[in-house]
Amino acid sequence: MSSEVGQQHPLSLYFWIWGLLFVVSAGSYFTDFMEAGYLRWTLILTFMLVKAGYIVAIFMHLKWERWALIYALLLPPGALLVLMGLMAWESWDYTWLSRVVYFGEDPYPLRCPDAANPNCVPMAH
Amino acid sequence: MAQAEIPYQEAMPLHHPHSWVTKYWFSQDHKVIAVQYGITAMAVGLIALLASLLMRTQIGFPGAIEWITPDRYYQAVTMHGMIMVIYLLTAFLLGSFGNYLIPLMLGARDMVFPFVNMISYHVYLLSVVILLASFFVPGGPTGAGWTLYPPQAILTGTPGADWGIITMLLSLAVFIVAFTMGGLNYITTILQARTRGMTLMRMPLSVWGIFAATVLGLLAFPALFVSAVMMILDQVIGTSFFMPAIASSFEPSASEYSGGSPLLFQHLFWFFGHPEVYIVALPAFGVVSDLISVHARKNIFGYRMMVWAIVWIGVLSFVVWAHHMYVAGMHPYFGFFFATTTLIIAVPTAIKVYNWTLTLWRANIRFTVPMLFAIAFVITFVVGGLTGLFLGNVIVDVPLSDTYFVVAHFHMVMGVSPILVIFGGIYHWYPKITGRMLNDTVGKLHFWITAVGTYVIYFPMHYLGFVGVPRRYYHNEPLGESAFYPASAELLNQGISIAAFIVGAAQLLFVYNLFVSYWRGRPAGDNPWEACSLEWRTPQTPPIHGNWSDTLPTVHRWAYDYSVPGEKEDFIPQDVPHRA
Amino acid sequence: MAQAAAAGHATIFEDWGSDVTTFKGVPWGKAMMWIFLLSDTFIFSCFLISYMTVRITAAEPWPNASEVFSLTMFGAPVPLLLIAIMTFDLITSSGTMALAVNYGYRRDKKKAIRFICATAFFGAVFVGMQAFEWTKLISEGVKPWGNEWGAEQFGACFFMITGFHGMHVSAGVIYLLIVAWRLHKGVYDKTNYEIVEIVGLYWHFVDLVWVFIFAFFYLW
Ligand code: HEM
Ligand SMILES: [Cu+2]
Repeated sequence: MSSEVGQQHPLSLYFWIWGLLFVVSAGSYFTDFMEAGYLRWTLILTFMLVKAGYIVAIFMHLKWERWALIYALLLPPGALLVLMGLMAWESWDYTWLSRVVYFGEDPYPLRCPDAANPNCVPMAH
Repeated sequence: MAQAEIPYQEAMPLHHPHSWVTKYWFSQDHKVIAVQYGITAMAVGLIALLASLLMRTQIGFPGAIEWITPDRYYQAVTMHGMIMVIYLLTAFLLGSFGNYLIPLMLGARDMVFPFVNMISYHVYLLSVVILLASFFVPGGPTGAGWTLYPPQAILTGTPGADWGIITMLLSLAVFIVAFTMGGLNYITTILQARTRGMTLMRMPLSVWGIFAATVLGLLAFPALFVSAVMMILDQVIGTSFFMPAIASSFEPSASEYSGGSPLLFQHLFWFFGHPEVYIVALPAFGVVSDLISVHARKNIFGYRMMVWAIVWIGVLSFVVWAHHMYVAGMHPYFGFFFATTTLIIAVPTAIKVYNWTLTLWRANIRFTVPMLFAIAFVITFVVGGLTGLFLGNVIVDVPLSDTYFVVAHFHMVMGVSPILVIFGGIYHWYPKITGRMLNDTVGKLHFWITAVGTYVIYFPMHYLGFVGVPRRYYHNEPLGESAFYPASAELLNQGISIAAFIVGAAQLLFVYNLFVSYWRGRPAGDNPWEACSLEWRTPQTPPIHGNWSDTLPTVHRWAYDYSVPGEKEDFIPQDVPHRA
Repeated sequence: MAQAAAAGHATIFEDWGSDVTTFKGVPWGKAMMWIFLLSDTFIFSCFLISYMTVRITAAEPWPNASEVFSLTMFGAPVPLLLIAIMTFDLITSSGTMALAVNYGYRRDKKKAIRFICATAFFGAVFVGMQAFEWTKLISEGVKPWGNEWGAEQFGACFFMITGFHGMHVSAGVIYLLIVAWRLHKGVYDKTNYEIVEIVGLYWHFVDLVWVFIFAFFYLW
């Protein structure tokens, strides 16, 4: 197509982001040494989103694309959020609970067979 | 920008055929690929039609043909539904209409990646071959119903639970690959390769419908793909995605299943399945809008509204899926959410119906064969859409779900309606494709038998549903005393079956017409319907490879300038400039 | 061309309302790749959402990934060691890919090819490590149809999701090598080498998916 297409950015930018990605990945790796709980889950999600954001915005150059493309790509996954939300709701609040109620499976001992294990917490609780 | 890009499009390298094989088999010309898709889809469609006639024989005259055992009956049900929805309707509306119309209506030389387009057809053909192979594998094709619900789909006792289901799922996965290759091409062509002056808001509604449907397809087929992969894994290596422990207790010989979630499959399936019904409906909406406008010699009423209705239907179709699951045992709170969204989606749908009607209002209607089909579509669609409103309400759906009422609903709205549009579209564009008209008399005969027959077949089904006749039931002799519905149902069923045989046979008229008119049809000329859209403005009819002369046409107006006051002609093609 | 986002939101209406192209300055191949990636996003998300569903509904205990995937180093188990190395390996490959794209647009063919090959190398290493990880797990009793550590969906989801991702990486390696070869042959000399960016989009996407798998499957 038109000949001036393309992205020109200083190399230093890429090295910067590259470095940051390493740092963030290291951060998310170290969450594994934390105790399970809201803090850890929040950190996992934050690091994940930051990393994903850098990759998409800088490495995939989405930051420099025009809004027409950016929106066309970012809006449709909203449908997935609906699916995800409803499935999480149903699985926990309904399917799992009815399994426990009707099949008499006691949730907590089962979820944490090893009560001493700090990494084991009942999910979604 | 246009300055730089149009010459690029004009000089687009085309892979011209050198032999019969590259011309008709491995062709990269979107028009040839469209015809290939069309012929293949119609051929499998005929198989699906035969399957439905087998079913009707069994339902109307239980025991009349011994060969139709319960297993074969369920296999017929399944193959009929799946072929019709995926391999006929989706493939025809997008693969055939999409391929043919997009480049011509937008003033492009071809699809942006003709090679990928060619591969797309051949992968589709492969999926059809795999599908047909399932008739010959041990145990025959799957009899799980087109919804393929586990656990039953992969438990022994369901016909084709070992080989049949695997070939089915494999074929679907391959189909999705084919669709993706085609779909990426359609979208990129529509967004990036229009001609000068062709803004999105000047595109004919056919292209809009195809565009929205393709987007839906690219985003919805993944859910089907994923569920197909998981079900294959459950069946072949014994994972338990969809299989709960209780399934093993029915089938001690099989794998040890535990903890799978059949509901998950239904969610995934309908997350695909509901958009799928609009994948079929939206192109039909688009095409029928164009047919109505051309043959009513009037601009389409509310063009912008029509476009936005298409867009909103597309968006909303992703949040209504669980209205198919009101009786599935899902989370009880979901009914409220999905009933609400379902009723909301009826609003843009109704807008479209009003606009078609208002386009016809006091128009100078030409009752050509395509127009007859278009009008029949509008009526049929209204009937089917209204029953959708019933089913969208949880409390009404609970007794009606899984009865013939649902069968009537979706055949009206998604079975017959799009088929009517496909017929209308073929009668309309056949002259463009071949340069000859289809025979009018045979066409009218075909139309009346099909349209009237439809009502004889599907109207009584609403009543059957109300009295409680369940869908997908096989019974070999009249139920007599033990029947839980009145005996009159049996009589109705016989009537429906006879009508179905007649309508089925009448389709041969259409096939006959297609063949004979190819050689004997009246020469069509360049623009037999006096239509405005670009596809009628190619220098040659049928258009050559590359469609246009050295320069691409320039568009000056929308596609609906019919009967403009003060003009000599009653139509002004899109590439005619405005008077100074 | 950094005409870009800075141009403001009003450009949305201009662009979608214009003729010829909607995505201004985006070559056909790149538009097609982006749309494909959007569709692929739906595939991976459906996999992950299914994983979430079976995990939440599982009545049996869900194995603790950080124990399952630990490696013993110097006598002590280090959790997720191999996974961490794989993660860093993929990021490294993303960096080399970004450089390749940059050199491509500078029309520095030699360097572009070199960095594409480096990317493919890191990709191949990733697949190798994944093969090692699979073998190790299978020998430890994690199978798709059951495992000794708890809910059997753990193994099923693991093999399915990482397998599907691994197939993407493998396909990416082949794709990269083909592009490098064709670049070398001069097939793209008349173009702006945007093919490098297109294959780059695909490669970064594969890395992106891994970010989510790492967070949701290994860490959660
Ligand atoms: C006015 C809008 C519509 C509403 C409110 C609506 C509502 C519904 C509901 C609630 C069901 C589930 C019935 C049950 O299984 O108990 C259903 C089934 C169905 N609908 Fe619609 N619908 C609408 C339009 C459409 C359209 C436009 C199509 C296709 C072009 C369509 C195709 C289908 C199909 C194929 C099924 C049955 C699937 C099966 O169970 O095998 N519907 N509809
Ligand atoms: Cu629906």
